[in-house]
Amino acid sequence: MIQPNTATAPPRKKLRVGQSASNQLLGYALVLPLVFFIGFLSIYPTVLTFIDSFFTDNPLDPPVRFTGLQNYFEMFKNPMINHSWGNTAIYVVIGVLITTVLSTGIALALRDNFKGRGIVLAILILPWALPGVTEGIIWQWIYDPTFGVLNSVLHSAHIIHAYHVWLGSSRFGTIFFIAVVQIWQITPLATILILASLQSIPQELYDASTVDGAGWWRTTFTMTIPLIRPGLAIAVIEALITFLNIFDQVYVLNGNASTGNSIMLQTYNTTFQNLNFGEGYALSFMTVIITMLVSVGLLKLIYRRVDY
Amino acid sequence: MKSRLGVGRWIVVALVCVWSLFPVYWSLNTSLMTTPDAESVPAHFWPTPLSLSSYRQIFSSTGDNAIWPNFSQAIVNTTIECVAATIVTVVVSVLGAYAFARLKFRFKNVILFVVIATLSLPAYATLIPLYRMMANWNLVNTYTGIVLVYVSGFLPLALWILYNYFTTIPVELDEAAFIDGASPLKTMFHVMLPLSAPGLASAAIITFLSAWGQFLFPLVLASDGSTQPFTVFMTSLQTRHTVPFPLMNAVGVMSIIIPALIVVFLNRYIIRGLIAGSSK
Repeated sequence: MIQPNTATAPPRKKLRVGQSASNQLLGYALVLPLVFFIGFLSIYPTVLTFIDSFFTDNPLDPPVRFTGLQNYFEMFKNPMINHSWGNTAIYVVIGVLITTVLSTGIALALRDNFKGRGIVLAILILPWALPGVTEGIIWQWIYDPTFGVLNSVLHSAHIIHAYHVWLGSSRFGTIFFIAVVQIWQITPLATILILASLQSIPQELYDASTVDGAGWWRTTFTMTIPLIRPGLAIAVIEALITFLNIFDQVYVLNGNASTGNSIMLQTYNTTFQNLNFGEGYALSFMTVIITMLVSVGLLKLIYRRVDY
Repeated sequence: MKSRLGVGRWIVVALVCVWSLFPVYWSLNTSLMTTPDAESVPAHFWPTPLSLSSYRQIFSSTGDNAIWPNFSQAIVNTTIECVAATIVTVVVSVLGAYAFARLKFRFKNVILFVVIATLSLPAYATLIPLYRMMANWNLVNTYTGIVLVYVSGFLPLALWILYNYFTTIPVELDEAAFIDGASPLKTMFHVMLPLSAPGLASAAIITFLSAWGQFLFPLVLASDGSTQPFTVFMTSLQTRHTVPFPLMNAVGVMSIIIPALIVVFLNRYIIRGLIAGSSK
């Protein structure tokens, strides 16, 4: 159907869709809405965050005025903010590590086709599709110190001898158990990304490795994992951004306690509860910079171009 | 190698199923019990006797602590915001993806790069200024305001999914239509879109699900009863007064019915979309 047309057509170049001057205009017209949204509601606000971080902007302390780096100095002097930086660092380390290990393991197990694989994949991605707030509510009930099923199960199995207060009793514990909820949500995405990378490895490489006498563990660590570095890199970056931004689960599970406060929650409180917009801008901008630096660092560390 | 993985694989599969499903099952289980049963120690793993009292309470609009008037409004709000955001996002990204995949114009690659780069922009970057801008335009607590913000946030991923999809469709098909006298726009509607149905489905579903779970932006931009989505409603319910566990879980279960159905029936589009959205 297509073949005859191309065969009788004049030289191809002339016919390429979208080369005339009117098509230039059409191109601009089609991307205009996109440029409006991204330019006006994404890039412009980011620039504003940067600029306004140098202003004191607080309805309780008018007028809005240029104060240079003062917001940044204030920010570093605030023990609450420093505490939440520390917390966020713990969220990121725990979250990224566990997510990466879990999702790599699951992806390796689900690589080959087997009966029921489609259903398992559907079950796998369910937590990803659920709202973070609902997940917080579900897990809050699981963690409940008096009636929670976690205590009940661990106690029945004689792993613990008394019911524990999982959230709020220690800094590390609180962060760990809140991180688990976010891990629950993000692991499916990371697994799918790694799985896609795994499936692009040609079967011959596995066969060759088996012929060479390498067992499953050796094949996995010396061949498979180095080859999935591109997928691994994307999964790690996704996890990193998620844990640097952790908010919904913390809001529900930690409330306003400082124990597990994340930097995003701190930014929200500084800005919309204390109305210190200037400092909120400074906090936001710092986090954007840190996100970018750590992302690039991790990308350099993990990503290797793989060609087959 | 195969046989060793055999047993290991089924153990992992079993663990994945428990890990993914148990919390959701547990919430459903609790929502179907009376408060004393839900609070029994050790915990009941089946809702016996089955009690629908929490759901009855959700749907009742009488009494001092009636949830239904606010909850139903919140569900309506979420639905309107998600559907509107999904439609606008898909339409805008289809137009853009077509232009990037098929047309030639100056600064094309620069624009594409910048739009995709905003994918990695964290919420921090835009939250406070967007609040300020919406406040200036009187768009706080309006559907328009929250939909504008959602669209700007979800566009890059939808565009990337569609762009990747469009580039896999052979240019020869467009050329054939073009020779037959179809304009580029006609080509887009009659050749590209029908062939891209799976890509469109992926982009729409992922956008819809992302919008459905939004919390931080509506907490700031749509927090009053007339526009708040159910996520904001649920957290206010949780802090305002002590809500019995079965009732809170019943509200939670109602909030995940739609995403759960989407996962059950449309999971292949989600998976394809997530992979397409991350490639390169």
